[in-house]
Amino acid sequence: MEQVIANGLYLGAQYALIALGLTLIFALMNVLNFAHGQMYVLGGFITYTVYGQLGLPFVVALLASGMTLAVIGALMEKYLFRTVIKRSHREESTMLLAAATAFFFDAVILLIFGEKQRGVPKIVKGVFNTDGLIMPYDRIAVGALAIVFIAAFILYMQYSRPGRAMRALAQDRVAAQLMGVAVERYSMIGFAMGAMLAGIVGGLLVTITGVNSGIGGPISIKAFMMVMIGGAGVVGGAIAGGFILGMMESVGLTVLREYGDVTYLVIFAALMVFLSIRPNGLMGKPWG
Amino acid sequence: MTRVAKAASISAFLAVVFILVPVLIIATGRTDLYYTLTSVALLSIASAGVWLTFFIGRINIGQGAYALMGGYVSAILVVNYGVSFWLTLPLAGLFCAAASILIGYPILRLRGVYFAMVTLVLTEVARLLALALPITNGAKGMVSIPLPGALSIFGVTIIPNFAGMQSPRLAFYLLAVTMMVLCFAAMYRLVNSRIGKLCQSLQQNEELASSIGVNIAYLRVIAYAISSFFGGVAGAIFAAISQSIYPSSFTVTDSINFMLNCFFGGLGYVFGPMLGTLVLYFGWDLLFQTGKFQLLIYSTLMIVLMLFLPNGLLSLGDLLRKRGSNNG
Amino acid sequence: MKTISNMSRRVMLGVMGAAMLAAMPAAGFAENAKLKIGFVGVTSGPAAAWGTSNVRSMETLAAWYNELGGVKIGEVTYDLDIVTFDDQKDPKRAIAGMEKMAQEGIHYVVGPNVDDGAAAVRPVAEANGIIYFPYAFPKSLYEKPASNAVLGMIANYQSGPAIYKYLMENKGVKKVAFVAANESDPLSQRDGGVAAAKALGLEVVAQNDTYQNDTRDFSPVLTPIVALKPDLLVLSGVAPANAPLLIRAARELGYEGLISTETAQDAKVLEEGAGELANGFISVGGASTPEIASDRMKEFVERYTKMFGEYNDESNTKVYALDYILETLKASPAALDNVEEFKKAMDTFSAPNPYLKGDAKLTYVGSTSFGQKRQVAVPMVVNEYKDGAFETLFVGTVD
Repeated sequence: MEQVIANGLYLGAQYALIALGLTLIFALMNVLNFAHGQMYVLGGFITYTVYGQLGLPFVVALLASGMTLAVIGALMEKYLFRTVIKRSHREESTMLLAAATAFFFDAVILLIFGEKQRGVPKIVKGVFNTDGLIMPYDRIAVGALAIVFIAAFILYMQYSRPGRAMRALAQDRVAAQLMGVAVERYSMIGFAMGAMLAGIVGGLLVTITGVNSGIGGPISIKAFMMVMIGGAGVVGGAIAGGFILGMMESVGLTVLREYGDVTYLVIFAALMVFLSIRPNGLMGKPWG
Repeated sequence: MTRVAKAASISAFLAVVFILVPVLIIATGRTDLYYTLTSVALLSIASAGVWLTFFIGRINIGQGAYALMGGYVSAILVVNYGVSFWLTLPLAGLFCAAASILIGYPILRLRGVYFAMVTLVLTEVARLLALALPITNGAKGMVSIPLPGALSIFGVTIIPNFAGMQSPRLAFYLLAVTMMVLCFAAMYRLVNSRIGKLCQSLQQNEELASSIGVNIAYLRVIAYAISSFFGGVAGAIFAAISQSIYPSSFTVTDSINFMLNCFFGGLGYVFGPMLGTLVLYFGWDLLFQTGKFQLLIYSTLMIVLMLFLPNGLLSLGDLLRKRGSNNG
Repeated sequence: MKTISNMSRRVMLGVMGAAMLAAMPAAGFAENAKLKIGFVGVTSGPAAAWGTSNVRSMETLAAWYNELGGVKIGEVTYDLDIVTFDDQKDPKRAIAGMEKMAQEGIHYVVGPNVDDGAAAVRPVAEANGIIYFPYAFPKSLYEKPASNAVLGMIANYQSGPAIYKYLMENKGVKKVAFVAANESDPLSQRDGGVAAAKALGLEVVAQNDTYQNDTRDFSPVLTPIVALKPDLLVLSGVAPANAPLLIRAARELGYEGLISTETAQDAKVLEEGAGELANGFISVGGASTPEIASDRMKEFVERYTKMFGEYNDESNTKVYALDYILETLKASPAALDNVEEFKKAMDTFSAPNPYLKGDAKLTYVGSTSFGQKRQVAVPMVVNEYKDGAFETLFVGTVD
């Protein structure tokens, strides 16, 4: 049982970090970023190239992943999403744009990095092993790093000037604008940060699970689910959602294994029932 | 548009799909286009359902679930119980409508991305159910489904047996296009009826609508049921064409594509999903020659179009009209 | 119609050739006719590796043959033209792809890669006279009344029993656990594997465990299975992308038994994804291990690598389909536009297998499994992964 809980916690930490970037972009711009998973994959491939192929230190690779994605995110906001939001009658239209950029990233990644699953050497070797609990050291390291990043993100949002501005923006766009917040600038920063988080988590996880060009879509969908559980557009919700989903998978796969292929059926059905009872997730904004 | 102009454009459209397209296909020998256009027609029926949920202000990424359900209902009835395909077609639609009432009643209270996500999850639930339930034959799928037989009423054969035809492709094309015309006619009628006006008020402000005495829960469920009916019918015909159905026949990707078709054609236009499906599906097909760059070109074009026409292709007409009136 | 247009083309070619000869006697050759061979399968998305290794094998071979001056079938020499269609793993698109092939006048198609696609294209293939080579295992595709599909590889219900038997006898395996992705192909393969293991008298300790195909972390899936301490863990129908992750998770959880699968894998992917933890992993391959590969196979790998930057070991099993098509056409040129001739030829066809050392043959098999010869005979090479490369464990055959 200790093993199951440890698995769940580790899974939760990585899920939470994936969900954070998505929920940030959603909170600021009401954009459901279908390309989030593709950004994660791109971050993974950049770390793969810099750390795995060029042999530079892992930290450099992680920085490269984060920075590249931040730039891409900023450009996407400025030249794509801003334009479409301005010209569109219904803000859901950005979903089509997001999906189109997801396809675009898929195509580019497949052309550049090929169709194969890729992996990099372990960052830390060895396995932590006691009676009831086995956990490889690199998983512990990645889990800890994920928690550090989550904490840093929360502190940044809470206490820095841009962080406060973004929170104001998320709460009420019009009011924030009236209070003198440079809405466009902070939307761009927020989008860049969301993309950067995706890139960093991609770079982190490539050391454990590798990366391949096709997993972007499924990762986006998983991230959507976590965000829905916790409540869309709320940082705490994304973290809670990530941990809850991680724990449900870990416990469910152990408890329900006798019954065959039903674990995910049960998880999904539970999610539907839960959301019918609490239409805004655990702590979401009323108007998703 | 005047009555005359409307009647003229409707008959022009019917002439194109029922006469001109088959004639052109026969003349050019491009018989592969029958299936492509059949797909477009069927996918646009399913997309029309999604459009209808957009119309009541809900983003529906769950149409794949109903298409899969419809496909299985028809396949099971035909294979296990020997029911005629023609009877299973409405039954598949009705089954999906009934299921959607049960599912929709609780989840239609959700809005925005929450509803979108729950329906997305629903698609996956449908796939997993198809894998797990004994009646669907699980992972092995249902294969070798017979082609639709003859349909006769009072001894008069209305539709001949598909299996006896030299090429069932034209028959499937005509069937799909007929269904599409019926579906969009029904939608057009619905949207311009009193109920349609009420639905539109839901899209804008549910609280207001409810305060002036509209039974919004009832309206929403009805719209969702019609939407799912369309999905079920489209799925049933697809199962008949491919003579097989698997849990993966309709997946999350399909659900997302149905939604994108609506966006692409234009959410504000009844015929948006039809045009959106045509352009998106046909566009992919036309790019088949570009080999490994297919997806790259396709997605780039999609982004560019989105930048210039974020309200859908059909908004081009509005834009031109506006520009015209500005000049004049 | 077909023969008339072919004849007129031949006449045209003749006239053109004569004209060219007259115009410039120095350059005395005519352009070869084109022979189109199709591919319908998945080359994008999570399963892109399956179809991509197909397409690239075909394109490598086609470029090679064309460089050598084309392929002579009957009296005519053809240049090969590979027409590919990405079905995105969607059975509905696969049908469209097959229709496209029919439209292009193609009679021989490689693919699709998965069960649902292969089942969905069957009506189109049969209506248009197309022989297709799926990489999918359902028997209904190959048994009568179906007759246009030819299994392009060895099915798991053929290789599985051989592997389990070998491991029982040589490694003392008694307890087996199965784990599969929650999708049609892997689940069907798992059911086949479980039945085979039980028939051999093995104790099956886990047979219901599944995972979503998009799982990235397999520890939760494998934790309860590892606790059962099986001697053999079978990864049924595992996608090449998932294999290293499963292996790594199992080993890191302290699993000490054997791990095997019945599908083809790529050594590089295993090396990057699991490193030395993948040592001892058993999979089914084609003909690339040094012990058995002929010089021609080695040159194929070289050319493939030169053309696409990197070889994919999955192509070891996928190199065969195109050669089967071409060799059978050579044996029966009338089959060029009449697949009934091809079917007739299949019963007696035999040619040397160029990819294997020794005197192995290319023939059609499958009588035992399908009741008719609807499978290509490829050597059933069972490999063991060791430090970045595969080593041959044993070679079996299918009849």
